[in-house]
Parts: sequence; structure tokens; C-alpha cells
Amino acid sequence: MNYVSPYDPAARTPVEPAPRPDSLAGRTVALLDISKNRGAEFLDRIEARVRELGAEVERYRKPLFSRPASGELIERIAARADVCIEALAD
Amino acid sequence: MPVAVDTPAPGFRLAATGAGAVGLDDLLRGGPAAVMFVTDDCPTCELALRRLAGTEVDVTVVCEAAAAGAARLAQRTGFGGRMLVEPAPYDTSRAYGLEAVPTTVVIAADGRVAETVVGWDAPALSRLLGTPLGDRPPLRKPGCAAKSTYDAVQLAADAAGEGDDPEAMYELGWTDGLPTIAPTPERVAAMLAGRDPHASLGPVPPGMGEATLERLAACAVLAGCRPEHFAVVAASAEAMLVPDFNLHGQAVTTQPAGQIAVVNGPVRHAAGLNAGMGALGPGTRANATIGRALRLLVSLTGEGMPGRLDRSTLGNPGKVGMCVAEHEERSPWPPLHVERGFAAGASVVTMFAGDAPLSISEHRSGTPEQLAAALGWAAATLWAPNWWPIGAATLFVICPEHADTLAGGGLSKDDVRRAIYEAVRRPAGALRHGEFTARVAAAADDEPIPKWDSPDDISLIVAGGEAGRFSAVFGPCVGMDWTPISREVR
Repeated sequence: MNYVSPYDPAARTPVEPAPRPDSLAGRTVALLDISKNRGAEFLDRIEARVRELGAEVERYRKPLFSRPASGELIERIAARADVCIEALAD
Repeated sequence: MPVAVDTPAPGFRLAATGAGAVGLDDLLRGGPAAVMFVTDDCPTCELALRRLAGTEVDVTVVCEAAAAGAARLAQRTGFGGRMLVEPAPYDTSRAYGLEAVPTTVVIAADGRVAETVVGWDAPALSRLLGTPLGDRPPLRKPGCAAKSTYDAVQLAADAAGEGDDPEAMYELGWTDGLPTIAPTPERVAAMLAGRDPHASLGPVPPGMGEATLERLAACAVLAGCRPEHFAVVAASAEAMLVPDFNLHGQAVTTQPAGQIAVVNGPVRHAAGLNAGMGALGPGTRANATIGRALRLLVSLTGEGMPGRLDRSTLGNPGKVGMCVAEHEERSPWPPLHVERGFAAGASVVTMFAGDAPLSISEHRSGTPEQLAAALGWAAATLWAPNWWPIGAATLFVICPEHADTLAGGGLSKDDVRRAIYEAVRRPAGALRHGEFTARVAAAADDEPIPKWDSPDDISLIVAGGEAGRFSAVFGPCVGMDWTPISREVR
């Protein structure tokens, strides 16, 4: 039977995640604070652990947890970091 | 072919609608017997039974149906005579070679078929049954296929193939859990009513599927909308896709909030929206389906399906869809859209984000100020008991009797907003329990903290039935930096 789909096929195309690095040693790790309550505390712990593994850390923040990160912020992180870790907290 | 004249009538023994069972032998004990085969879904059979009701005709009706269906047929038609129940697989009908109903067979005392009449044929049946059945038209009317001649299950399956199978929609996942209407090209075209199907309202968060009008119309069909509802659906969708509404945050949050459409202006009548008794539902197609179409747009086109990208911990029943019309004709105040700068005669939809409505029963307040305070204090625990101020727009629905009390005391809508705002305050020290705001944390113990940052955070509409002092307030959607968005319905 022929139906009119409510879906947009373009939005349903799966996107492959980037390959995971074997090691964080010598890599640059971006830590993104989404401005959720106590997210910075969580990232402080992550930063300490990641530095122990030999990574450089850069901290980023988006203004409001409930809105997507801006394209500009995503591009900035992608240009500078090998890995990004985003914190969700409360 | 029906059993031929002069051949032996096949025997049967069937349950009667009243009690007990009756066999052909029983019927023939007193001489010749007349048997009329009917179904419970045939208009001609209903006609025949209505005409027979109240006559002295001695006819035994055999109804192709389950017992309940046969009993309902007797009740509908007023037929009080003997009715036997012939459930699937309709062995007796098959034995009699039945093709159509009604079919009346007269069986002679010796058990042989004497005569057969197919359909409603008043002159023939009058003669056959020996009783005048009147001369009211229609004197003759063909009937329906006997159930024994087709496979009802297969028929239903075939119909499903024609696009009316809710199960197919469930298999596709095009549902919010309730049955949906299949969006066939014909239905979608009717919904669009000549609009450009490829026109786009933009991407729908969180999955960013593009809301073409055709996809929006598919959602409207799925939701059960009629074409006259679509203008409201389209304006609402346009409003909620405005970035300042932050549909993205609302669609993925663990909060229970959904989207609430408030409709003002003449389109309320054109769309058949209910602003009166039971205005928050259920009961009215327009309210139920317009709100549902918007939620299906978020869940399907936007990929914000609950349990997937929609991470709401509990959800809320209003999230199936919530569309409220303001009862402007009954309101003593300017309606919401006029407050928001639109002409009184314009049709406007305003989108809010919100949780389920909380009912506020208030029958005893002596003054408008007391009533305003009661409405406000009922809202004091919204979001969390110690979360002051809420920091989000809050929508109150004021019932007509409450509106009369407030306006009768001379309060304008702004006065009511301010009265609510002024009344609901607590000292910061009393709020420092569990979860509280940064403002409360920073304030001196005795500093009064209001529940809202400003009266402007309080939106008021009037809706509901004439009787009853029950208003409501929608729980707010907090922390999303959203603002109500209005769009004109064109």
C-alpha cells in the first residue's frame, strides 16, 4: 500500500561515529560543559583522569544545556581537538 | 443455489435469543413453518423485521450472527417473534444454499421446501405467510450477501490492503500508541487542499527532519484531523519551529512537558474547536486531533519519539496532544491574541510549553483578590515546592465563574496577573530546603521571594463550561529559555 510518509529520509540516514583512538596519550581532548547543573564538577574529575593518560585538555562551554551547540563551537572543537567528551549532569 | 422446491429441508437445531434451543422438527410439529434467514448487518433485513414486528405472522427468524448481535438486531427492529442464532461458520445457511438475506423459506408439514422468497418482497411474502404486510413502499428491496457466502476475516484483510488498517500503522511505528488513520495519498491531498506539498516550514527538532507541508499533512491525517483543521495545525507548527520556542530542548528533556496550542479568533468556530464545557478535553475532535498532529510532527518527522530521542522520565497524558481554544465570547477580558498585539478579528495560535494541567477548585473566596491569591497559591508548588521563582511562562485557564468573580470586582487581566504575582511570596529562609534557586540561595532569610520573576510570566485565558468553579494551571517547562510564540492562522 502506498502511504505518504511523515518521515524525512535525509534525517534518518545513519551517521558513522568517528573511529575511537587507541590511546589518549599525546592527544588533545575537548571537554564540553553544556551548562547543566554540576556539569563542571564532573568534568573536573574527567580532566584529572584524562591528563593522567597523557592527554592535553581544553575546556569548552555552551551557553544553555537545552539548545544544541552552535555550528561555530562544533567547528572550533573539531579543528583543535582529537576527542570531545560532553558532560551531562544534574 | 437455494434448496430446490420439493426437496427435503435440511434439519437444524439452533439456540434461541431468549433461551433454549429450537429444531426444525419443533417448528413442523404444528404444520408448515416459515423460516426467514437474516444477518445483523443488512438494512433490508432490518426493514423486513420492522415490517414483521407487531404483525401476527408466524415466522421463525434465523440470524447469521453471534448471540449478542442477534439480540441487538431484535431490539433495534422491535421484532418480538422467535429468533434463532446461527453463528459462524453458518452451517445451516450453507445447508440451505443461502446466497442472499433476507431469504424466506416455507417448509411444508412433510419437511419439504414449499417455496422460497429472496429479498424483501411484500406482496410475495404477504401471500406466502398468509398475512397482509401492508403496501408502504418500498414493496421490494434486494438484500445483502449471506455471511455464509464470504470469508469475513478475509474481507477485513482485503479492506486493510486498501489503506485502513491501524495495525499497518503500528507496524510502521506511525503512532503515539493510539490507533492512527493511514495517510493515503488521497487523504493527504484532501488535507493539503491545494497547498504546495513541497513548501517547507523548516527542520523539526530534535532529529531535524524537514517539515514539508506534505509531511505535516500526513501527521494531520494520522492524528485524525479533518481538512478544516489543517490551517490551525500549519500555523501551530510554524510557531513551534521558531528558534525562540526552543522545541529542541522541549523534545528531548527528561521533563514531562509537551506543546500546548492556544487558539483565538474566528478559526475556533470554523475548525469546530470546543472552548466551553470540558475545554481541556476529552470529547472534541478538533481539540484532540490538532494537538495530536503537532505531537506526531515532533515524534515522527522530528524523530522525537518518547523513549528514543524524547527522554522524558514520565511524560504526561496531555503530551498526546493539547489544543485549547479561548472562550472569548464568555471572557470579560481581551483575549490572549489581542493582548499579544493581534487584531480582535484575527485568528491566531499561540504555542506554549507545559506539563499536565493542575485543577484548582475554589468555591469560597469572598473577594476577587482572595480568589486571585488562591489561584496563585495553587500554583506555588509547580515545578518544585522550593523552586522560586519558577523562571518560565505559566499558563492559567480561568473558568467563566472565576472570571466573573475577578472581573466583577473590577480586576482587569493585568490586575489579576499582578494580584497573583503579589500574593504568592515566601521568605527565602523558608525555601532553602532541597532544591532551590540561586536567587533563594543568595537572598537574606527574610527577603520575600515571588513565585514568578514578573507578572509578565503569567498568561491567562478563559475557557470552560458555565457551571463550576474549577480553573487550571499548566505546569511550566523550566530551564529551556523558551517564550510563547504566536502565529496568525491563514
